[in-house]
Amino acid sequence: MLFNSLHFLIFLPVFILLYYLVAFKYRWILIFIASCYFYMAFVPTYILILFLIIGIDFVSGIAIENSKNQKRKLFLILSLLSNILLLCFFKYFNFLNENISGILNLFGQQFHPINLDIILPIGLSFHTFQSMSYTIEVYKGHQKAERHLGYFANYVLYFPQMVAGPIERYDRLGTELKQEHKPVYQNFSDGFKLILFGLFVKMTIADNLAPYVNQIYADPLKYSPSQVFTGLILFSFQIYADFYGYSTIALGSARLMGIRLMDNFKTPYLSKSVSEFWSRWHISLSTWFRDYLYIPLGGNRGNLLRWSINILIVFMVSGLWHGASWTFVIWGALHGVNLLAERFFNKVFNFKIKETWSLLNLLLLLKTFLVTTLIWVFFRAESFSKAKDVFQALTRTTNISDISLESVLPGIMCVLLVLSDLWVYNSRIDDRLQTYKPVYRWAIYTVLIFCLFALAGTQKFAFIYFQF
Amino acid sequence: MTKKIIIKLSCLVTILVALNVLYKYTLFQNDLKTKSPEALAIKSQDLPDVYFFGESSNATYRDSDSIKSSITELASMFFPTIKIVPIVKPATHAGIYKSWARMIDLKKNKTKALIITLNLRSFDAAWIHSKLETQLQESMVLTQDHPPLLNRFQLSLQAFDNKTEKQREQMMLEQWKNTPLLFPFAFPFKSTADWDYAMAQGHYKKSDGTWDKEKNILACHYIKAYAFNLNDQNPRVKDFDEIVMYCAKNRINLYLNLMAENIDYADSLVGKELVFLMKQNRDFIVKRYSKRTCVVIDNLDLVRGKDFIDQNWTTEHYAYKGRMAIAKNLALNLKKQFVKEYKDAY
Repeated sequence: MLFNSLHFLIFLPVFILLYYLVAFKYRWILIFIASCYFYMAFVPTYILILFLIIGIDFVSGIAIENSKNQKRKLFLILSLLSNILLLCFFKYFNFLNENISGILNLFGQQFHPINLDIILPIGLSFHTFQSMSYTIEVYKGHQKAERHLGYFANYVLYFPQMVAGPIERYDRLGTELKQEHKPVYQNFSDGFKLILFGLFVKMTIADNLAPYVNQIYADPLKYSPSQVFTGLILFSFQIYADFYGYSTIALGSARLMGIRLMDNFKTPYLSKSVSEFWSRWHISLSTWFRDYLYIPLGGNRGNLLRWSINILIVFMVSGLWHGASWTFVIWGALHGVNLLAERFFNKVFNFKIKETWSLLNLLLLLKTFLVTTLIWVFFRAESFSKAKDVFQALTRTTNISDISLESVLPGIMCVLLVLSDLWVYNSRIDDRLQTYKPVYRWAIYTVLIFCLFALAGTQKFAFIYFQF
Repeated sequence: MTKKIIIKLSCLVTILVALNVLYKYTLFQNDLKTKSPEALAIKSQDLPDVYFFGESSNATYRDSDSIKSSITELASMFFPTIKIVPIVKPATHAGIYKSWARMIDLKKNKTKALIITLNLRSFDAAWIHSKLETQLQESMVLTQDHPPLLNRFQLSLQAFDNKTEKQREQMMLEQWKNTPLLFPFAFPFKSTADWDYAMAQGHYKKSDGTWDKEKNILACHYIKAYAFNLNDQNPRVKDFDEIVMYCAKNRINLYLNLMAENIDYADSLVGKELVFLMKQNRDFIVKRYSKRTCVVIDNLDLVRGKDFIDQNWTTEHYAYKGRMAIAKNLALNLKKQFVKEYKDAY
């Protein structure tokens, strides 16, 4: 079920009503049923994969807790391997096959790859990572193994965040799901604000940018360099608005139940460096990689070379997490290289970014945005040849296109997003709104409602991160 | 808390009502222009005498035609003092015409007659589950009988019959497979799919003994387009029922213009059984809808095979001779209502 569908807008209030009507001890059953229903609105049979993940990690958690030394490690490895194998089978099988075939062909060996005609289960990368974080935490001794299958299932399945995060940790979401939440006015109010703002960002901003971006990426060589450049800028805003919108609706939906999910975005395009960008963009994934890959690899301990390799590995794996294609790996690698270059520059020139607003910081902000925008090309282009076409179209001086593209509305949408980010900088929309007098708050709601109802895109685009 | 929520919800409803008015008088017309230009055309007409609702058959012509006028233009020549306004959209059907008919402003417009194109193929599974259906349904969202702002939001949510092409194709195949074909005589095939399958096995041979693949494909296509039995469960029949009732209730003289089909080719390619079904379906329509306030204009057998533009596909696209024949038949039927205005144009 998509958040931006009538189906969800009917489902959510009905669920919330039942949620507070049902006795607390049975509430987990309601959340479980609702989450299954929510997920099964996509491809019903894929719920079985989720059940398998839940089963494996539930049993593994208990087994790890009950075991000692090598056995403990063995159960962890078995659990992680099962999750990774499931992910690999559905997400990377064809990719691996094609690459093996390519390598063997290089050595003159004939190998015809078998391509599986399977649709990637929605949000598989998200719930496997979420579930894996649980077993790792149990292994580390930071988390007690859950003995109630229902609660654990709800942690993996919890519908507001199951398909595109935020990737929550058990100590946070698991605990929240176990607590009794009574109907509180402030939760309803905040939940409503977050959902309204999330829908506005997704449907009014992202969905109005998508047609322009899609046209450009369909055949970049048909367009003039300025049009292509505009397309790249718009994609930067589109993917942000799309994912930020989804995350905000997720936060709002959970808040209606009295549950607080973690913030996944903190105005990332107002970052002055790549490292700051990654502390503000898809925060739950960045922290996951930091805790479960970067630190185990050694983090910034060891020499400069070792640290650089760790950074590159983390970013490349992060790229691969997004999609089974080398373009994603390059996207991640470029971010890694960029981050390393920034750190080296800062070290060599003893440069430190000051927190106060200044012209220099504004230039750094523009630099970070521009670099990120150019790197997004590898994320958005479905192949290297398409990415090459984009850069070729961007740099050529001839063959100027006479195709006109509607750019006024997308331009206004980008300005709205920038203004909104400047407004909520280092805060969140619901907290920010709370600082205003009711009359101003309602004036803002009125504008948001009008923009959402009257200006939202008229083509529906699924959330970009659903495919991961 | 309940009181607080009720107050806030009341504020929200008030805001929505106000925003609906704001939207209606600012952006709505522009949205209609983009998404439902036909609706805007119906509403913005100044006192037309006759509305003509149709699809591509009205204006499609053969490149070699010396006169490229549409059916409505040709029919208008018989009634020089009458304003016939065509509202035309490709692949439209009764489900859409039904909504269009309701858009006619009965207070402002003194519409004397409504002509609706009745296309036999529009009752078949391929048209009912056509991939163009989603687009047609989308074009109707803004014209629903709800507040315009709500319609606009529904459009953004794509809250209409928004099936994918694959889903529609599946439904079409299932209908062909599962709907029994009924004949009053012995016939070997139980369904459209059976008949199509048998034909696809290779029915036609060229003079050199090889299969005539093109002819075979065309024959199969004729089966899929016309091999069905019309009954009151057909969704298009239900739509036409509503149109006829609506027009009767509002005293609009209704003309259902049953378009010509390529009977000649249906006969020569597939055989008399298919022609039997086509004529049986025609009879069903004529019998069901010929009432005091509704006239069925039967053009089914009016155009000869060579006068169809598409010689290797089933369409209702006619060369000049075909369009003229239909326009003339239409004019002769309208003459009963507009006796004084009629001029013998040809």
